[in-house]
Amino acid sequence: MNNENTVMENGQVRLKRHMGLKASNTIANTIIYIILIVMSVIWLLPFVFIVLQSFRCESTWQVGYVVPQQWGLDNYINLWKSDFKKWYLNTFIIALVVAVLQTIIVLCMSYTLSRFRFKMRSTLMRLMLILGMFPGMLTMIILYRVLKDLGLTQANAVPGLILVYIASSGMGYYVSKGFFDTIPKSLDEAARVDGATRAQVLTKIILPLAKPIVIYTVLTAFMGPWGDFVFARYVSFGTSAGMNVAVGMYNWLNLDQIGARYTMFCAGGVIVAIPVAVLFMCLQKYYVEGVTGGAVKG
Amino acid sequence: MKKILALLLVLAMVFSLAACGGGSKKGTGYDITVWVPELAVELTKQQIADFNSSNEYGINFNATVEPVSEADAATNMITDVEAGGDIFFFAQDQFARLVQAGALNKLGAEAAATVSAANDPGVVQAATSGSELYAYPLTSDNGYFMYYDKSVIPEEDVDSLEALIADCEAAGRYFSFEVQSSAWYIASWFFATGCVSEWTTGDDGSFISVKDTFDSPEGLISVKGMKKLVDSPIHLSSSKGTEFGSGAAVVITGIWDYETVKGILGDNMGVTDLPSFEVDGQSYHLGSFNGCKLLGVKPQQDAERGAALHLLAQYLTGEKAQMERFEKLSWGPSNSADQASDAVQANPGLAALFKQAPYSVPQGQIHGSWWDIGKVIGDDVKDATDEAGLQAALDNYYDKISSLFTMTEEEKTAWGVIGTVEGTNWDTDFPMEAAGDNVFKSAEINLFAGNEFKVRQGASWDVNYGADGSLNGPNVVVEEDGLYVVTLTITDEGATGTITLEKVGEPTAEAPVVEKTEEELNAWGVVGSFLDSNWGDKDYPMTEISDGVFESGVLELKAGDELKCRQGGGWDVNYGINGAGGDNLVVEEDGTYVVVLDIAAEAISIKPAEHSWGVVGSMTGWGEQADFPMVEVSEGVFESEAIDLAEGDELKVRQDSAWDVNYGTNGPGGDNLKVEAAGSYIVVLDIAAESISIKEA
Amino acid sequence: MKRYSDLEYLKLSKGQKFLYKLESFFLAIPAAIGRFFLGIGRFFKKLGLGIGREFADLGKTFKEGDWKTRGSYLVMGLGSMARGQVLRGLMFLLFEAVFIVYMVLPQGGLFWLGKLDNLGDQGVHKVTENVFGQTVERVVYGDNSFRILLYGVLTIFFIIAFIYTWRLNIKQNKIAQDYERSGRHLSSGRDDLRALVDEQFYKTLLALPLTGILVFTVMPIVFMILVAFTNYDGTHDGLNNLFTWVGLDNFNTMLGWSSGGTSYSAAFGEILTWTLIWAFFATFTNYFLGMFVAMMINKKGIKLKKVWRTILVLTIAIPQFISLLYVGKMFAKNGLINLSLINLGWITPGNELPFWEDPTWARITVILVNIWIGIPYLMLIATGILMNIPADLYESSRIDGANAWQQYTKITLPYMLFITGPYLLTSFIGNMNNFNVIYLLTGGAPTNAALSTAAGSVGHTDLLITWLFKITMGAESKYNMASVVGILVFAISAIISLVVYSVLPSIKNEEDFQ
Repeated sequence: MNNENTVMENGQVRLKRHMGLKASNTIANTIIYIILIVMSVIWLLPFVFIVLQSFRCESTWQVGYVVPQQWGLDNYINLWKSDFKKWYLNTFIIALVVAVLQTIIVLCMSYTLSRFRFKMRSTLMRLMLILGMFPGMLTMIILYRVLKDLGLTQANAVPGLILVYIASSGMGYYVSKGFFDTIPKSLDEAARVDGATRAQVLTKIILPLAKPIVIYTVLTAFMGPWGDFVFARYVSFGTSAGMNVAVGMYNWLNLDQIGARYTMFCAGGVIVAIPVAVLFMCLQKYYVEGVTGGAVKG
Repeated sequence: MKKILALLLVLAMVFSLAACGGGSKKGTGYDITVWVPELAVELTKQQIADFNSSNEYGINFNATVEPVSEADAATNMITDVEAGGDIFFFAQDQFARLVQAGALNKLGAEAAATVSAANDPGVVQAATSGSELYAYPLTSDNGYFMYYDKSVIPEEDVDSLEALIADCEAAGRYFSFEVQSSAWYIASWFFATGCVSEWTTGDDGSFISVKDTFDSPEGLISVKGMKKLVDSPIHLSSSKGTEFGSGAAVVITGIWDYETVKGILGDNMGVTDLPSFEVDGQSYHLGSFNGCKLLGVKPQQDAERGAALHLLAQYLTGEKAQMERFEKLSWGPSNSADQASDAVQANPGLAALFKQAPYSVPQGQIHGSWWDIGKVIGDDVKDATDEAGLQAALDNYYDKISSLFTMTEEEKTAWGVIGTVEGTNWDTDFPMEAAGDNVFKSAEINLFAGNEFKVRQGASWDVNYGADGSLNGPNVVVEEDGLYVVTLTITDEGATGTITLEKVGEPTAEAPVVEKTEEELNAWGVVGSFLDSNWGDKDYPMTEISDGVFESGVLELKAGDELKCRQGGGWDVNYGINGAGGDNLVVEEDGTYVVVLDIAAEAISIKPAEHSWGVVGSMTGWGEQADFPMVEVSEGVFESEAIDLAEGDELKVRQDSAWDVNYGTNGPGGDNLKVEAAGSYIVVLDIAAESISIKEA
Repeated sequence: MKRYSDLEYLKLSKGQKFLYKLESFFLAIPAAIGRFFLGIGRFFKKLGLGIGREFADLGKTFKEGDWKTRGSYLVMGLGSMARGQVLRGLMFLLFEAVFIVYMVLPQGGLFWLGKLDNLGDQGVHKVTENVFGQTVERVVYGDNSFRILLYGVLTIFFIIAFIYTWRLNIKQNKIAQDYERSGRHLSSGRDDLRALVDEQFYKTLLALPLTGILVFTVMPIVFMILVAFTNYDGTHDGLNNLFTWVGLDNFNTMLGWSSGGTSYSAAFGEILTWTLIWAFFATFTNYFLGMFVAMMINKKGIKLKKVWRTILVLTIAIPQFISLLYVGKMFAKNGLINLSLINLGWITPGNELPFWEDPTWARITVILVNIWIGIPYLMLIATGILMNIPADLYESSRIDGANAWQQYTKITLPYMLFITGPYLLTSFIGNMNNFNVIYLLTGGAPTNAALSTAAGSVGHTDLLITWLFKITMGAESKYNMASVVGILVFAISAIISLVVYSVLPSIKNEEDFQ
């Protein structure tokens, strides 16, 4: 099409291309809509299935169909009667506390590395990059033992897990440092000239500007604990009172329980997913800003 | 910042040190943790409450019952024994791992006697390592059989694998048999053709040897049969009863899926034993493992608490508790009385299990790695395209099994010091390093007066040196406490190896307290260079036959063997031919002897053993009950008393209630004598004629 | 290879340019590795010189010091207190006191250090007693190898911290002495505190995060590295059976340098290959497809942008252990997908698609499911970046007659690649260690018969990280071998990062963005 057009006169080319564009645009848009609709279906179906299964009452095991023959809330009622609410509360507390403390730590870390130039800075950053390459899975055994000696395992797993999640959260400074890097340094300098201390610069100038990254950090910190089942399983170590939802529900998929618990697993999945998903949807805008502002630079 | 950092580190450490410790005990009440599968939680709570109110010692447990799957129990216990459940349920295949990791508390003599008497022998064997019981049998139902959908499978097809596959293919339904990811199910095919995989464990739970015949002509038949199934498009490698909910018509699984399958299939549920498969015109009935669930007690630091836990364990595995578990959870009991009850006999699932029983193999101790090595056979078989491929699958399996026991060349030639050294008891080799040609030195070792040791190669007794520098010589006995370096100098091309002790300092550790029971300390034994005694490896026990006179069992001694008698497995009190601490007794002629110690006469002596002959056979359970004694009626002819024999009974005659010397109808070690008609008989052994016979009484 | 000048380079055809770039990339690798080792050499040289300087300085300070300074060699903080910096001095003194007390406590630092050489020698022993009519064995625990190693490492950390603080205390004295001599004002405790929220605010900010990292990341890593040199496993749990040092045995076994260990090394090689293949596909499929989806949604004229995005990000919002476990089951031989296809009459029973049964299918399926999980994240990132590309770039290219493909390859892609270069690397490393996707979807299935070792079965979709997990949780609980795998994973990640970092044309200049 291009070659054809170039031989023509300017005005005509414009016109023709414009019309051609419009037509091809409609076709292109239609194709895109089709792709997007297909994708949406693929993306949504598993979740729809999980929701449907959670209302199935005629049986509790896996079956070869999706639409329940008998609808009801039995699974949710059984869920309420089981230890699930304890696990849910545990996870919620962990997520809440971690969301607050981890955000503070990550912000301290990233702000410092973005704004201050001190002697060990680059060594520190390089060191953390290297540390990040060790598979974290390896350190679970030892972290478990440390927590155990501190008395923070089994029934006390909640504070133990919080401690571990928070303690190493400084490593995840990349995204928000990237974001801070995009805030002009001249703002700091102007405030410093006006006599503000560094601490005041942070609280009065930078933080208000960093709202997206703060929300991004809170959101990711809040979402993390819901999915941890490997380390959390270690720390709760066979004590129901200390489990989080992931560990408790993962146990339901054991051979001796799957027959009786499968639909309950789906119901539990729904209950776990709802708050996280809703929160995420509401704060999506900030998440996008945080990711794009920070992640690409990290 | 550095200061704060450092301070925090310190605080963390001080805090952590302070936080060590624990243990909770109040009066006769104990806080305990019990790990059971989730479905058994409520029932177990109830049973513990029952125990609290019924036990005679006023023991009161405050139990936290946690749902921990039987499959996870061992992994969890091994990760951290201290935090593990005080009492935990586990599947039999984890037994050896748990014993090795020291996560199981040995049963005392009383508990062991109770358990052995009340449960079926196969299950008791499953809880035994070496010669000790380490766990309580909980169920005897860990076997598999066949569930099927009656609407798909006609009754007449259930005995034939080929017919079942055809039915499933015709109906487009699955045949579910987990042969691609589980050695437990794979073994079924091998047991069908008579292959075995038998493992031997030592007292510490470690594996000593294996007899495995999977890689054999019979094994090849097995995999040919297996290939029929795995090649079928309707084969599903799964053992979940819930597969009936998604397309399966046959599932091979166990009693634990009974309620699930019943829920899915309702009246269409069929249960029976496994089918047979056909290879080269011959039919083989699929075998199975017959395993069990066990209950373990974690080692305790407090003896009273431990004893209380053992009492609870006995209650939880007792007749009443097992019956309750059968009624509420359909767990098949291991208790003999429960097994015989009408309710158990009438359970269709257990009936299928019983029907499968003749083809099942008791699941003994199996090396933990076997499960991983064995489970790939199914995949290998599926990938194989011809007979050579099938054979290769077996070879691959065999190589891996045998590699579990092979040592590297380095390990085979390494020298080590072994003995009652640093708290070990002839079970640990302390490595020695080469310090020149034919000179080897150990690291610094604490040795205390009375410690004994030898030096051996490759952690085996094939080549070893003792005190006099000779091969297989007597133990070196340490005379003075100290920190030593042991040096071995080999001369004369290996004929002699001189062991020297070089004291480099005072001991760096306290002398280990050797705890022996009163009984052990008083016991007399024979020790010497005979058999595998090796001057201390093993004391052959003696029993007091009259006041101050002790006799050993029948020992096979060789000319030149030397021996003494000693008390308590130590040299503090010992007798030789000329009194306390006297000279060794030297055997002059090969033969079987009994060693006699007469304390009043301060002397030891040997006398030729008199053999006893006895009748053994199906009427005595082949040795379970005592042999019927025989008396010598004339030179070389022995007769029993009248014995009531049934038609079809088989019997033999053996010496000293052991199989070393025995006679059958056609001579030593010969065939069993079969009883043609029931009646009261006298069994006759004629040694000159080398035969046994019966005559009516 | 011929090096082209800029002008020559521009004259090359597209293919030649690509080949040239590729060649330069690979030719740069040896140099990069060389630089790395040179760097290590320089580091040690610098370290040696540094230590020498420190000692020289210590001597000099002592020689020239007054009584306050000299006293501080023994009593930390003495000089500071004598010079009126009471707060600072007290902190030093307190630290020293705590250190000494910790070291000499009965179960303190010296106790653990002393046992570190063989990780304990007194094992558990048993005592038989008779209670409640039961003969029971009571255990008396001796040493605990695990604790010895753990507290040994902590003590060493503590000693290093002490030496550092002690040295700091002397430096402070030297500075203070110089200040005094030249009559300058010494900072008071109040000044010190004020500095912590101003000039030295970074110390305040970093104190907590770094302490956490030190105790809960660095220390465990050091510990686990040490475990790789012991025989810590299921049969040597450190309490019932002590474990001890075994030198390089585990590495020899893993890498096939010892005669007994071929099975480990073969498994390691295969799994590593698949791990790299997986990381490559997982990273780049997500990257390009995510970008593609973002461009589709961003396209002018597409409505309901927010709705599409919201639907797609569901996979981020819902915990993976729910979604992946469920999806994994959907692909099973008798899972929802196969059964639906049968119901639709597209396949017949017995000809189900072997999603998890066939190695190649399984590998492709995990990559596809990973796309499902991963695209939304990339879509969000790409959306942000695409919106940042100056619109006039497109406008002017359109006037120049570029079509959509040309716009993509000339503007969008280079821009994206430039900005996301480091991100690509991080996500490659991240995918190498993507435990969740593999573990929850397949658990490593289907089993690779040829590679399964005594320590555990190995599957065709196992990554090094899931293998590591299996070794830990498998029949023999080989913690020592798992540590070896972990160290090797680290080494591989580090090498890849170093090479990429030094070969990519200067990734970014930090200050450019501010």
